[in-house]
Amino acid sequence: MSFLASFRTFVSSLFRRSEMEREMEEELRAHIEERAADLERTGMSKAEAERQARIEFGGYQRFKEECREVSGTHFLEALLQDLRFGLRMLRKSPGFTAAAILTLALGIGTNTAIFSYVDAWLIKPLPYPQAEKLMVFLSHDKKKGWTNHSVTSTADFLDFQHLNTSFAQTAAWAGWNFNLTGDGPPAFVEGGRVSWNYFETLGAKPILGRTFTAEEDKPGGGHVAVLGQGLWQSRFASDPRIVGRTIKIDDETYTVVGVMPGTFQFPLMGIANLWTPMALNDKETADRNSSWFSAFGRLKPGIAQTKAAAESEAIFARLEKEYPQTNTNVTSQVSSMIEEIGKNEGTTEVMICFWIVALILLIACANVANLMLVRATRRVKEFAVRRALGATRGRLTRQVLCESLLLFLFGGVAGTLFGAWGMNWIQSAIPDHVRGYLVNYGEVNLDFTTLGFTLGIALLCGLVFGLAPAFEGSRADLNTPLKESSGQASESGRGARLRKIFVGAEIALAVVVLICTTLLVRSFLISVRSSPGFNPANVTVAQLQLPKTRYRQEETMRNFTEQALERIRALPQVVSAGAASSVPFGGFGQVVLIAAVDKPVPKPEERRGARFTAASADYFSAMQIGLIKGRRFTSEDAPGNPPSAIINQTLARQMWPNEDPIGQKIQYGEQHNIATIVGIVTDIKMYQLRERPERQMYVSLTQFPSPKLGFVARTAGHSTKMETAIRDEIWAVDRDQPVSAVEPLDTLIMVTDAANRVLTKLMVFFGVIATFLGAIGIYGVMAHQVQQRTHEIGIRVALGASPVQVVRMVLGQGMKLTGIGVVVGIAAALGAARSLASLLYSVTPNDPETFTGVALVFGLVAAAAGYLPARRAMRVDPVVALRHE
Amino acid sequence: MDNQAQILPGTLDLLILKAVSLGPLHGYGVLLRIGQISRGALLVEQGALYPALYRLVRQGLLKARWGVSDNNRRAKFYELTAGGRKRLREEEDGWNRLAAAMGSALKARPEEV
Repeated sequence: MSFLASFRTFVSSLFRRSEMEREMEEELRAHIEERAADLERTGMSKAEAERQARIEFGGYQRFKEECREVSGTHFLEALLQDLRFGLRMLRKSPGFTAAAILTLALGIGTNTAIFSYVDAWLIKPLPYPQAEKLMVFLSHDKKKGWTNHSVTSTADFLDFQHLNTSFAQTAAWAGWNFNLTGDGPPAFVEGGRVSWNYFETLGAKPILGRTFTAEEDKPGGGHVAVLGQGLWQSRFASDPRIVGRTIKIDDETYTVVGVMPGTFQFPLMGIANLWTPMALNDKETADRNSSWFSAFGRLKPGIAQTKAAAESEAIFARLEKEYPQTNTNVTSQVSSMIEEIGKNEGTTEVMICFWIVALILLIACANVANLMLVRATRRVKEFAVRRALGATRGRLTRQVLCESLLLFLFGGVAGTLFGAWGMNWIQSAIPDHVRGYLVNYGEVNLDFTTLGFTLGIALLCGLVFGLAPAFEGSRADLNTPLKESSGQASESGRGARLRKIFVGAEIALAVVVLICTTLLVRSFLISVRSSPGFNPANVTVAQLQLPKTRYRQEETMRNFTEQALERIRALPQVVSAGAASSVPFGGFGQVVLIAAVDKPVPKPEERRGARFTAASADYFSAMQIGLIKGRRFTSEDAPGNPPSAIINQTLARQMWPNEDPIGQKIQYGEQHNIATIVGIVTDIKMYQLRERPERQMYVSLTQFPSPKLGFVARTAGHSTKMETAIRDEIWAVDRDQPVSAVEPLDTLIMVTDAANRVLTKLMVFFGVIATFLGAIGIYGVMAHQVQQRTHEIGIRVALGASPVQVVRMVLGQGMKLTGIGVVVGIAAALGAARSLASLLYSVTPNDPETFTGVALVFGLVAAAAGYLPARRAMRVDPVVALRHE
Repeated sequence: MDNQAQILPGTLDLLILKAVSLGPLHGYGVLLRIGQISRGALLVEQGALYPALYRLVRQGLLKARWGVSDNNRRAKFYELTAGGRKRLREEEDGWNRLAAAMGSALKARPEEV
C-alpha cells in the first residue's frame, strides 16, 4: 500500500471512530429514554422515571468503555497512543534516553558513513549504460602466474578483435601525459590515448562536437583531440566555438573535435582531461612482443562472461600454437570491469570497515538493550499496576517495544547526522591524486539508499533488541512487586542472566574490534616509522616529461638536464640537487630484465627484473641514499666511457650472495646493455612505505639521458618558496616545458600513504568507540548489581564483612564476566584477524603482543569501570541499607 | 425479586442470540424480549447488554441497522447473520446437553449410585 493510501485509510478510520462514538451515545441514550417512557407509563413522574431508568442502566461510562473495547481499537490508533506514551516515558528519564541515543548514534552513524561507501562502490553500478557487460582484458602468464592490466601484445589484441564473436565492441586505452602549449603558460595535462570507439564502447556521449572516427585512428590520422569539460572551462574559457579550433599538444597541432562532460570518468585510467586517438603505426600493429595499452570490451547481448572467457582462451591457445616464440604460456583473461575498478577502490578496506562497524553496532545495541532491561526491572511495579488495572500482556509488550523502537529511531536520526559528518570527513581525507581512480571521484552522498539503510538497521535493531526487555517487562507478576513495600523490586533470575550474556557478548565483540583495529594501526605505525632508505625531509621534487618533438636527440635531453640542474643548484637556499629518470613516490618507474654476465644464462622463467633508474652524479647525496660500498657516479661516467651501474643491497645479495659485486658486469634491458657495477647503495622504497625490498639498479643519467625527469633539491631548512623557484628555473631553460608538479617529497609520501592514513584514523576511532561502549556496558551492569544488592551488602557489612571484602566481591563478579568475554573475544579474533592479512605490514594476524595488549587493556578498562560501583558498595551503610527495606 | 436469577456468565450471549432470532430488535427490545421469554425469571443488568451486543456484532454473529422503534424513536436494530444462526443452533444443543446432564446429575439419589 502506498503511503498516501494508508494515510487515507487512517484518516477515514479516525472519522469512522467519531461516528461510532456518536452512534453509541445515541443508542444508549435511546435505551434509557425507552425505559423511562415505560416507567412513566407505570405511573412514575417524568423526573422520577428518568432517574430510575438511569439507575437501572448501571455504570454508563463503564459500559461505554467496554463497548469501545469489544468493538476493537484501530491498530494505528493504538500505535499512536503507544508512541505518545513512549515519548512521555522517554522524556521522563532524560538521563537514560540521552545515554541510549548517544550510544546508538555512535553505532548507527558509523554504519551510515561506511555504508555510503559500500553503496557507492560495491552496490551502485558504474556510471555507464549496462556496465555489467563491460569486460576488461588481462594478460596472464600461465607458467609464472603473473597477471597484468595491459594486453598481451598489440598484434594479439588486434587478432582477438577480429576473431572474437562474444564482444559487440572492443576498445583500447592508455593513460598519457600531454604538454599543452600556447593559450597561456605551458601545462601538463593528464589524459589518454584511446582507440576511436573508446567512448562509444563505454556508452559515453560528448556535450559538444563528436568523438573520434575510425579514419582518425589510422596511422597519420591522429591529429584530433577531445577535451574534458574541466580543461575546456579552465584553459579555453568554455569557448563555444572550441570544436574545430586548433591547439598545441607536445608541440604539434591538433584539432579539437569534441568536449566530454565533467561527469564522464574512467576510473581505470584515473583523472583524464584530454584524449587523442591511438593511431597505431604499422610497426606497432605488427608487434607481437609487447604493447603499451590496455583494452576492454562490451559483451554482445545474451553472451555470458564465462562464454567470452572460454572464447578468449581458445583464441589465445591458437595464437600460442601459431606464434610459439612470443606467445608461449601467454593468454588473456576476461574480468568484469566492475570488479577491476573495485580493486582500485580499496574494496577490502571498505568491507573490513563495514564488518567492524557492524560489530560496533551490535555492541551499541547490546548496551542499549541492557539499559532497557535495567529500566524494565525498575519499572516492574509500574507494569504490575498496569496489569492489575487490566492491561494485557500483549499490550504491555507492545508498549515496551514501541519505546524501544522510538529510542532506536531517535538514535537513527542522531546517527544520520553523525554519519553525514563522518562521510564528509572520509571524503575530505581522500587525496586528490587517487580520486580519479574512484567511481564518482570518491564522492558519496546521503541518498535514499543510505538513508533507507540507516532507517532499516535502526528499526531492525530496535525490534530485535527491544524484544528481550519487552518480554521481561510484560512478565510482571501481579502480586510480588505490589506486595513489596520498597520500590526495590527484585529482578528475575532470567533478566539478570540475560544482561550478563549481553555484557559478556559485548565485551567479546569489543575485544574483536579492538584487536583488529590495533593490528591495522600497528602495521601502519611500523610502516610509517620504517626508513624509506632516503631522507625525505626538506627535499623538493619537480617532475616533468620532455616532449619527443623537441627532444629527440640524447644530446638535447642531456643539455636540458644539465642546464636545469645547474640553475637549481645555484638557488641560494639549495644545499644539493640531483636528477633521475624516476623518483621515489613520484608514481613512475621502470623495470628491466637483468642478468649477471659471468653467470650461466638463466632460463626464461628464471629471469629477474629490477627497478631501473638513470640518476645524476649527485642524486644519491641529494637524496641521502646511503652508500654501502664502492662509489657514486662521478664525472668519469660521461658519455663515451664504458657504462657503470650502481645496485642496491637486495640485488647484490640475491645475484652475488657470496661474492663482491663491485667490478662485476651486469646485463640489462631489451638491448642487452652491459654495465660494470661500481657501487652498492641502500634499498629505497619507490611506491609505498609498506613495500618489501626489491631489486634496484641505477645507471648514469649523463650516459643514458631520459625524457622523463625528476629533479630533487635539498634545502637547509624548510623552504616555502621552492616550488615557484624551481619552476622558474626550468622555464628559464625551456619556456615551453610544463612541469607536472613541484612538491615536497614529504608530501608525495604522505599522499601515497593517504589511504592507509585514512584507514588508520578510522581504526583508532573505531577502537576507541568499541572500548568506550564496552566500558559503559561493564559499568552499567555492575552499577545496577550494586544497587540491587544494597540490602544484601548491608547485611554482609552488618555481619562483619570488611570494605575490602565487599569491593572484592563486587569487582570479582565484574572481572569474571570480563574474563569470559575477553577469552571468547580473543578466540573469535584469532579467526577474524585472518581476513586482515592482506592489509597488514610486518605484523602477523595473530600478533601475540597485540592480543595480550588488548586483553590487558580490557582488564584495566573493566577494573576502572567496575571501580565506581565497587566504591559505592564499599560505602554502604548497613543501618541505612537495612532501613531502606 | 426472589424468583429472578442472575444469569450465568457466558449465557448472556446465547440469550441475546435467541432473543434476536425471533425478530430484529433494538437494545431495549432485546432486554424486554429476554424478560418475556424467560417469563421474567432472568435478570440482565441493562447496561451490560451493550458490550455483549457490540461483541457479537464484532464477531459477525449479529448485524445492526438503524430504524424507528414503536415509540417513534430512532433506534439501532439487531438481527442474526447466517453465522449467528449457526452459532445459536450449536449453543442451543450444547446448552441442552449441559442442562440435561446437570438435571440428571442433580436428581441422582443415593440408591442410584
